[in-house]
Amino acid sequence: MSAKESVSLGREIPATRRVILHDAAHMPNDYSSTPGGTIFSTTPGGTRIVYDRAFLLQCRNSPLTKSPPPNMAKIPGVTTPAEKGSPKVNGNPECKTVAEKPENPGDEPQFEMDI
Amino acid sequence: MNNMNKFDVLKGEDRDEENSLKSKMDIKMTPAPPPGSGEHPIQFNYSLWFSKRTPGKQTTSYDQTLRFVGSFASVEQFWSYYTHLSRPSELSGHSDYHIFKEGIRPMWEDDANKAGGKWIIRLKKGIASRCWENLVLAMLGEQFMVGGEVCGAVVSIRYQEDILSLWNRTANDHVTTSRIRDTLKRILNLPPNTIMEYKCHTDSLKYVFRDRSSYRNTDLFMR
Repeated sequence: MSAKESVSLGREIPATRRVILHDAAHMPNDYSSTPGGTIFSTTPGGTRIVYDRAFLLQCRNSPLTKSPPPNMAKIPGVTTPAEKGSPKVNGNPECKTVAEKPENPGDEPQFEMDI
Repeated sequence: MNNMNKFDVLKGEDRDEENSLKSKMDIKMTPAPPPGSGEHPIQFNYSLWFSKRTPGKQTTSYDQTLRFVGSFASVEQFWSYYTHLSRPSELSGHSDYHIFKEGIRPMWEDDANKAGGKWIIRLKKGIASRCWENLVLAMLGEQFMVGGEVCGAVVSIRYQEDILSLWNRTANDHVTTSRIRDTLKRILNLPPNTIMEYKCHTDSLKYVFRDRSSYRNTDLFMR
């Protein structure tokens, strides 16, 4: 093993990636991250797109997330409808009011008892 | 000899099931669209799945209860699925969400999972939604720093507890599994007495005929 071999070779700086922001909400809130994620140039074999939690949470506010994807599977009780607050068909309140009992006066004499 | 034959028969059945499943899923699975303008691409595309065990007799197999929800290639595409899904804690009964790299099916039999395993974290009721979100964001944001080892994440809603798991490719790669464990501890902000367990999928396969649950028969690793 010669000293020559242990010297690591220089590598070029990876190509610049241009990130265009359409919304101020996409700006990271700390100086250590870049918009569009951090690029790790030290990963062998290339770059890796890394995002921290805060940045990902900011992206949630993007107008692109407001409607479900067109081909999203529909599963009742799991995938929710686009509008929130619309009343769910979850039973009929009218059914619960037991006010109107079927009128059946004819039945009553049956239960009368002679003592 | 007799046992051997039985085993071979079972193996054969598995194979058939797998093949039929594959063809079924090819039809149902739609690939993630390429990230549009203004979207933030992620390192790997992922797919979202849902499964629910029907109460009563277990006549349906796991792959029959598994539903493909959709695939995504950017942060914004992920949120457009996520914000239109019920939170894990809002799910009823015996339900799971799975987010796996596109092309990896959330099952032990998949080639990417065959030699793999998973970290399991049992959570008391009430914190699953928050922990699941943190886990998923760490996975999509490449916080684990284990190369291509991560396969996917699962949240399992059960009656007494909720369970998070993170699957990786190589169960006997201890550098990877301990790095995943440390990252999980860091990102999840777990209560102090939380138990983390690692389990190889081959153990799950061995015991699946006996008790039908992949969360039993685990080795305890810490605290």
